[in-house]
Parts: sequence; structure tokens; C-alpha cells
Amino acid sequence: MLNRRCFLKAMPPALALSGYPVHGFTKDAVDGRIIVIMLQGGMDGLLAVPPIGDDDLYKQRKALVAANPLKLNPLFGIHPNFQNFSRMLKSNEASIIHATSFPYTGRSHFEGQNISQIGLKKAFSVDTGWLGRAMDNAKITGRAMSLDAPLLIRGALEFDNYYPASIEETSIPKKDLLELIKNTHDGTAMETFEKLSQSLIQGSDEFRARDPLSLAAKAGDAMRRNDGPRVAVLTIPEFDDHSSIGSTTGHHPDLFTLLDSVFGQLKKSLKETWNNSIVLTTTEFGRTVQENGSEGTDHGYGSVGLLAGGLIKQSSVVANWPGLSNKALFEKRDLYATIDYRSVCAACIEAAFGLDHDLIIDKVFQDKEIKRTFHHIFG
Amino acid sequence: MYENKYQWARKIGFGFRPEDNIPGDINQWNIEQLKSNNKNVGLNGNGKWPDNFNFSIEERFNRLFTYMTKREKHESDKISPIEKKRLVKIARDENLVHLHDVYKYWNNSIYSQDTFHQRLVHFWANHFTVGGSNNFRNYVIGDLIHQTIGGNLGGSFSDLLQKVILHPGMLDYLDNVQSAGEESQYTKSMRKNGKTAGLNDNLSREILELHTVSTAKEYSEKDIKNIAMILAGWGLSVSYYMQDFNNEKSSNNISKHTSLKKFIEKPYLKYKAEPGNKSVLGKSFASGPSALYILINMLAEDDFTAKHLSRKLAIHFIGENVSEEEIQKIYKVWKSSDGDLSEIHKVTLEVAQKTKIKKFLWPTTWMFQCIRISGAQFISDRNRNNGFGEIQDNGLPKFEPLSILDEIGHNFWASRQPDGYSEKKQDWVSTEHFDRRIRIASRIYRAKSTISGEEIAEIYGFSDRTKMSISSAKTNEDKFIVALCSSELMEI
Repeated sequence: MLNRRCFLKAMPPALALSGYPVHGFTKDAVDGRIIVIMLQGGMDGLLAVPPIGDDDLYKQRKALVAANPLKLNPLFGIHPNFQNFSRMLKSNEASIIHATSFPYTGRSHFEGQNISQIGLKKAFSVDTGWLGRAMDNAKITGRAMSLDAPLLIRGALEFDNYYPASIEETSIPKKDLLELIKNTHDGTAMETFEKLSQSLIQGSDEFRARDPLSLAAKAGDAMRRNDGPRVAVLTIPEFDDHSSIGSTTGHHPDLFTLLDSVFGQLKKSLKETWNNSIVLTTTEFGRTVQENGSEGTDHGYGSVGLLAGGLIKQSSVVANWPGLSNKALFEKRDLYATIDYRSVCAACIEAAFGLDHDLIIDKVFQDKEIKRTFHHIFG
Repeated sequence: MYENKYQWARKIGFGFRPEDNIPGDINQWNIEQLKSNNKNVGLNGNGKWPDNFNFSIEERFNRLFTYMTKREKHESDKISPIEKKRLVKIARDENLVHLHDVYKYWNNSIYSQDTFHQRLVHFWANHFTVGGSNNFRNYVIGDLIHQTIGGNLGGSFSDLLQKVILHPGMLDYLDNVQSAGEESQYTKSMRKNGKTAGLNDNLSREILELHTVSTAKEYSEKDIKNIAMILAGWGLSVSYYMQDFNNEKSSNNISKHTSLKKFIEKPYLKYKAEPGNKSVLGKSFASGPSALYILINMLAEDDFTAKHLSRKLAIHFIGENVSEEEIQKIYKVWKSSDGDLSEIHKVTLEVAQKTKIKKFLWPTTWMFQCIRISGAQFISDRNRNNGFGEIQDNGLPKFEPLSILDEIGHNFWASRQPDGYSEKKQDWVSTEHFDRRIRIASRIYRAKSTISGEEIAEIYGFSDRTKMSISSAKTNEDKFIVALCSSELMEI
């Protein structure tokens, strides 16, 4: 059961969520782009976006609060390593969703990652991802900036991968060779060889970097083209910091810097297409409110989602803040998630693809209880 | 039913090299491998594995300690940054260990005669994932794979589990080395000085979820915390093992007569342990190191562990669409043999031989099979690049075999999540994965392969459709690549 805690109506840009309007609509031919950055391992939302106005933060956490967070409003600050993202907040092209999570409280990475990608309540219940199903319904294409095809994007009619090979003394396979290999396969393997054959036409074999920043640059370049993919998926791993997580500096803060650079790079490489884009982070769960014994945090529940892109018109911190007192915590240890993050994903799909909210919650998330948050984020 | 010996050897092993003697009774040959204690063959299959490529666990820590000491010294030296970098690199190279381990892994897969045993080593190394990512764990991952796992597949699961959990790599990877009992002497004195100390539950959670009972068993956060309390006090950080070991000795925290080897086997620090009784899954545990041994036995013998691991073995060796009936056969033997790995692996063989289910192979399994069956070589002739590895003039192995594992996305030395690599076909089918398979196939062709694409198709009983594709290719190299990248070699 959710506790009802302090309600932050009077604190713009923090926006409380209640009484969502529920009336579906379909925009005509929205030509938006969605980029999902999967933060693997469980991002510590309280370190990224500390509720500096909540006195309980400092009672619960002794070390793990950055010394100099950038103040966003009386309640929330943001870690100083988010320089690009802070500028985007200032220019009304970014928003933060706090005390949120996919509907999962089990604290297992692998179940949590599965749920954050399939977007359903039961882990491992389907083999397609929420973004893939959304793309399928909107009939658009996408690209995973990774070696494998992430579950998140599966189910789409068309997507490919970009993660350039670097094997000495080899070159891009020839088209006629691919055709012969393809003919020995069936099903998805055959389709994949066909896709490889098609994607090679424009390919070249120069040295191509594949760190998250370079991949973000490539994603932006490709998505800018009229015939380019409209969806991209990137992963930043290693958020699972059980020890020596760092506060102002350290491992988690370094990851914030990397994530922040990816936001900055996407804006730069998308150019004018940025105006029609939404970038959102996902993570499998947040981390415990209190530090553990090794200057890290263990697996928790509620965390934070970061959104940026020109589709946002008014920056805000969207939260129904549950508080951090012992009584307010989930199972006496974790930040309560008061917003189902799928409602945020649904709003992004609505904004970028023009799909009707009712259709999204029915066909993509298969849960008609999911509220419409579109106006809070894109209104 | 795998009646063709060549196909059967690929289903459960790495197949045969063209020059291999094909055993008369292949089933007996497989069963004999269950007693194997990880036989290492010489480079390119010749003679013995070189002594200077073998490291005891003490030697690994000595090398790590030497490298770290030298690195610290050079970093504080008043010399130019370029000189600093050069000296640190020399210190690293002189004390290298993991590249030799990577060579052993490739070489055993390509040349050893106990390929079912080698496949089992890979399966269990994946089940008990210890990710790399720092310089330090790389010093011990090879020891975990070749010694701890490779050397303990003939005994009980319980024994293997205990040895793996207490391996310095695992204790470091899942942060147990950072954990200390809330009421331990260590935590109390740290907190008195305003420093952070106490429990973390990383290893505890993964022992339950991944290594033993899985989330199918309904354990609670309280169980996880109590296991963390039992685990508190076990292990030292790999990067400081030698230094800490010496410190512990000088401050009497461990016996003055303990050797590093003994301490590695039982890395228990009483002053970091949680005093008092603990309770896990309704069973009470007294304080002291024996609680962990009892706990590991209890979890190893749990019915959910038998179910979880019978399924995992079946999926790995039979295929992801394995039937419940086939899993049950393995499960029954797991139960009746009390977790005897020889018996469990034997029944896995029996079930795999009769199955009709196919398995899409891991990239490394496919790659090693391809190298083997085409008679290609691992080590290049000097500066010819007609293999994959190379020993340089200074005796050091070249880096490429490790970077290829990264390229194909299947590297036991890479940073990765503790659930290991996927067994699902869909996780290995992508344009980028297939691009790499074609590139690797062309490298295998040039690695002194001795048989042609057509011959492979004949020996391994390819379909007429695939044979037609092979014969339609214009060059011998293309014919070879079509054969290696055919559905028949990717899936068995």
C-alpha cells in the first residue's frame, strides 16, 4: 500500500501528480525520435538528484550526498556532474521524474532488468520489449547501439544494430557471400543475414569507436537522416556499486559525468532533430536510502528518471515525494516509488510517435491502470 | 539421437581435429573425461603446457604485489609522464598472468582430447561468473576457471560451491571483501573513528539467486541479511591480498604460522565477523567460520538448487527448448546421487545423446569448434599472422586472443554482470554478431586450416541446401566461410 506523504503542489517546478486527465487522442504524423539510455546495475537516484530540502536525507545518509549539488528548487538538487543536463533544465528542454520505478520490488538485477525492458509486471513473461511493441504499433524503425539486440527493442518490425567490429585483417563481408550464407539459415537468423546485407551498402570499414559517447554521436547522425532510425537504445553499465560508490567524486559520480556527456553528445549530433526528440533513462531499481557498511548502497526500489529533448516544453521535477523518514520508506529501507515509470515511457511514446495513450497502455504495456502523465511532462 | 560421431562430439564437446584419433567407443570416451582433472595440452597441441605459462595462486599474488609495488614507486618517481608510463608498462608486462590464462583457455579448447570436460569447465565458469574490469581480478580469474572449477568437477556440487565462493576472485567481485559484521570489532572501531563500516549483501543475494536455489524459492530479505552476516569476515581485497595478509599477520589477526596458501584456502578474519547466532531459511547457525560451510552444504542440498541447476545444465547442453521430461532425468540423478557432479554430468550426456532439440552455440563454442574441425592452428608462425596467438621474442604472449573474445562478445575476463552469458539464441542473433562470425571464419581459413568447406559439409552431414550454397561460392575461402557460418555449424 502506498503511503500518502507530503504533497508538493506549491513547489514549481516540482509537480505533484494527481487526477490525471484520461482522454485518448492521436496526433497526426508525429515525426519524433526516442532514445533510451539503459543504466544497468541500478542507479542511485538519491545521489543523482538529492532531495536537499528533505531533512531526513541527511539523517539517513551520512556520506553519500554530493557536497555541492546544483539547487533546482527548494526540495531538489542535482549532482554537480550533470552540467549539460542542468543547462538543458534551465533552457526548458529536460525534466526529472523522481521516486519512480518500473513495477518491481524484488531487488534482483536480472528480474528487474527484464521488467524494465518488457514493461510488464511479471518478469520473463514475454520475449518482446515495450519499445519494440511501441515501434511495431507505430510502424517505425530503430537501431540498437550494441553488439546484441536488447530485449527492449525486440518485437519491432525492423531494427538493426551498430557496434562496429575491430578484428585485425578482416573486412566487411561481401554481399554475394552473405547471400549464400543466408540461404543456409531459416527464421530470424536468415532475416538477420538479410538485414546485414542491406545495412552494408552504406557501410565503410574505417576505424569506428564504440564507447558510449561515440555511439551516441553515431546514433544522432543516423537519426537525423530522413530515412534513418527513429529509435535508438544505448547502455551504460556498471551502476551496481555496493562499495565505494563515491559522493562528490568517485565511481557513481564518474558514471553521472559519462551519462551527462551522452546527453550533451546526443543534442549535438541530433542537431535540429533534437527539437523532435526525447531521450530517457531507465534503470532496473534504485538503491537503499542508507549507506551500507562499505560506502556503497545495496539494491532498493525507487529511483529517478532523467528526460531531455526538444519535445519537452517546460522543465520540471515531477514527483509525488514520499519522504525519507523511516516510516516513509518501502520496507523500512528503500525510497518508495510513487510513480509507475511505465506511465513516463507511455508519455514519451505518445509524444514521439503520436500513439493514443489508451492504445499504448493496452498494446504496449498491457495494463489499463497506467495513468496518463503526458501533460505533466510534455504539456 | 546423435549417431554420427562427428556431430555428437560437437553436441557435447568441441568436435574432432582432422588429425585426431576418433575413439571407437565414443560414449566410454566421454565418460572417462568425467574423471579428468583438467589436462592441459602443449601449445598448438605439441608436448606439454609450458611451465612459465603456469602460475600457482601464491605466484599470482606475488606477481600482482610486485607489479603494484613497482607501479606505486614509478608513479611517485620524479620522471617525465612518458617515462612513467613506459616503466609502469614494463612492470605490468613482467608480471603478466591473465594473457597466459587466456592462451590456456583457447589452447585447451582447440587441442585437448577431453573436450566434454572443457565444455563443462566453460559451463561452470559461466554459472559462477567472476567479471574482470580491474587489473586485479584478472590475476585470479584464470585460477578460478582452470584450477578451482576445472579441478573440481569430479566431486560433489557442494564441494565445488564452497571452493568457488571462497575463491579470492568471487569474494572480491561480489564485494564480500568490503563487508564486515555490524557488531564486529572492526566495524565498532571504524565507527568510533568516524569511518564507515558494516555489511553489504551483494554476494549473499547472488549465492541464493544465481548460484543455488534461484528466486523460485521464496527466501526473504531477512534470509539475505543473515547470510551476509555469516559471510562477514571472509576474504581480503584481491588488490591488497599480499599487503593485507602481511598486515594481518603482524597485528596478530591471523595465526603467525599461517602461509599465504593456507590463508587463501580459509581467508577468515574473526575481527570482521559478526558475533552471535544467525538464522537462514528457518535454520539456526552458531557464530564462527564453520557456519559458512554448513550454510553452503545446506544450500547445495536444497531441492530448489537441484531443480535450478538441472535446468541450466539441460539448457546448456541440450537446448533452450529442452523438454521438462529431459530436465527431470537430470534432476532425478542430482537427487539420488546427492549432487555428485560425475553422475550428474553423465546423465546429462545420456539425455543429450537422445535428444532431438538443437542448441544455438555460444560464439566461443562455435569459434573453437570451427578452428578444431578445420584443422586450423592457434599460435601463428612468427610475424605471419596465420593463427590467433603469438609468443613474442620477449616470451610474452600477444594480446589478440583476448581482444577477439571481446569482439565476439563472449569473454570470461570481461567486466559483466554476475548472471553470466545468455543461453538464448535470440541474444546471439544480431547483424553485428553475424558480421563478426564471418570475419572470424575468414581468419580461421588463414590460420593454416587443412580441410575445405566441401569436406566439412561432407563429414558433418550438412543438408543439400547448404552444400549447394557452399559449392556456389566463387573462391575456396568463400566456400569455407559459408560452411563455417552455416546453420549446421551455428546450431547443433
